[in-house]
Amino acid sequence: MATAPLTAPVTAPPAAPRRPRSGARRGGLLRLPFYLLSLTMIAPFYWMLITVFKPVTEIDRQPPSFVPEHPTLNNFHDPGYSPTQVNPGHLQGLFQRFQVDFGFGRFMFNSLVITVAITVGSLLIASLAAYVITKHRVPGRRLIFLMIVASMMVPWQTTLVPTYVIMRNLGWLDTYQGYIVPALAKAFVLFFLVQFLHSIPDELIQAARVDGAGEWRIWWRIVLPLLRPALAAMSIFIVLAEWNNFLWPLILVQSDEMANIPVALARLNSYFVGAQHQGAIMAGGLLASLPSIVFFLAFQRYFTRGIVLSGLKG
Amino acid sequence: MATPAAVSRHRWRRHGTSYLMLLPFLALFAGFLVWPLANSLYLSFTKFDGVTAPQFAGLENFRRLLFDDDRFRHALGNTFLYVVASVGIGTLLSLGLALAFSGPGWPHRVMRTVFFLPSVTSSIALMLLWKWIFNPGDFGLANTVVGWFGGRAVEWLATPGLTIPILVLMSVWGGMGYGMVLYVAGLGSIPQEYYEAARIDGATPWQQFRRVTLPLLRPVTTYVVVTGLIGAFQVFEAVYIVFRGTNNIGGVLDSGLMIVPYLYDQGFTHFKLGYASAIAWVLFLIIFALSMVNLRIGRALKEL
Repeated sequence: MATAPLTAPVTAPPAAPRRPRSGARRGGLLRLPFYLLSLTMIAPFYWMLITVFKPVTEIDRQPPSFVPEHPTLNNFHDPGYSPTQVNPGHLQGLFQRFQVDFGFGRFMFNSLVITVAITVGSLLIASLAAYVITKHRVPGRRLIFLMIVASMMVPWQTTLVPTYVIMRNLGWLDTYQGYIVPALAKAFVLFFLVQFLHSIPDELIQAARVDGAGEWRIWWRIVLPLLRPALAAMSIFIVLAEWNNFLWPLILVQSDEMANIPVALARLNSYFVGAQHQGAIMAGGLLASLPSIVFFLAFQRYFTRGIVLSGLKG
Repeated sequence: MATPAAVSRHRWRRHGTSYLMLLPFLALFAGFLVWPLANSLYLSFTKFDGVTAPQFAGLENFRRLLFDDDRFRHALGNTFLYVVASVGIGTLLSLGLALAFSGPGWPHRVMRTVFFLPSVTSSIALMLLWKWIFNPGDFGLANTVVGWFGGRAVEWLATPGLTIPILVLMSVWGGMGYGMVLYVAGLGSIPQEYYEAARIDGATPWQQFRRVTLPLLRPVTTYVVVTGLIGAFQVFEAVYIVFRGTNNIGGVLDSGLMIVPYLYDQGFTHFKLGYASAIAWVLFLIIFALSMVNLRIGRALKEL
């Protein structure tokens, strides 16, 4: 089936290609402050990066080195560290700092499981609901949509206390389901998919019905493939939000084993105070940031388009 | 020709499937949003420590919040100051960046990526990084820069007067790239003919900006400002990671105490869950009022 023309509303650029703006020639001088500003964007990231590869003795040196003089991976894992014997210049590397299997790797695994489960789950249930709301003439659909859209005005922190109580009563504190289940029904995802489905002609679905396809089959074989660009845009938002989620996990998680990366980083920060620990802490920050930055760079085009569509078109 | 009974049976079957397909979303929506929300409203009128059953206390929580709680008043004041400063400065810089780097060529694309980078970086990692940059030792990055200009090392995070400026700096630094992306899209949707017409009429570049660009960017500005305000009111990580002391969440003298950190402090450090719910509803009312400004929802409903 030819789906290409139908995806055009999203795959086409949001606006006509721009010609250089007026005054572009004189713009160089006006841009200069912004180029300088970009240095302040780079500098903190660079500071993080060099701290990660400095040995403990170089981290709090005055004046600081701006290129690590003795680059090392000890901040991840220091073979010279021993828990029983003091070895000057050696501290636990990041992966030696938590008494859990695989050390920091455990938190990366947790974050990965949670992020993937929430992304896949929330897209599936939202696409089902969006399909019904836009293409089925069921009574009550306007009211349902109204309620869901209205809920987008609620700051989610309002539900923090009761959700905590519910999780405790269910015995879901400190569990994967405690992370995943409350995060599945995402109003903004439904809202976005509904808008997108409005641009897909009903005839396509009618045709499938005439051919005798069931509703579940139509959803799986026709609606989901048509939604692919919208799902891609949404999945980027969800992945980044869940990978970096902090406040809810902070309340949900008690043991070290069940921490996600942000909670583990916060604990690292409160367990180990002092400049000498910054190498390992920054190593953790790097491992937290690198996947989402790489993910963003790989899908940059979808991402900015998603922001623009969900932000401006709505 | 189908009989009326068959038609209604058919309808029922089709609607049955429809409701079944709506069910997963609706059940989770009801269970983890509507129900907690209703609960939160109820709890805000109770005294609740999380262990014994909630005791109904009427408007006591709200009375205390508004009239008796100096820390809450302080948190509100800090939050408003922070919100106005960070959204004001952030929006101006977003617009400036969009005007500077809206071109299709690679130098502009690289610049846009650079400014957008913080939006996709782990916020906890960024906050730990800022804490490290503002290390009070001579070797901290901020103090090293101060040293280049002959200044003495500053106790950045222990000086109450610097708390809000540092929070605003972190917020602007982290958020201006996001507004920039929206403004770039807004600029792209302005027809070039308007500028040509303005030039023929002899408009200077400044007049073109003032009379064409700015008015046509109004919807984008509204969106950037309102979503910026909503986001800023919910600030938590920056305070919790960068300024939290050993037994005080808001930094030295509560100089960085804000609404959500105070909610966390009351709810999950002191386990005053009823009181925390009341704080949550104050936040709700603020955000709700802001969202009403946002016309998105009205427009969305028109589409249905």
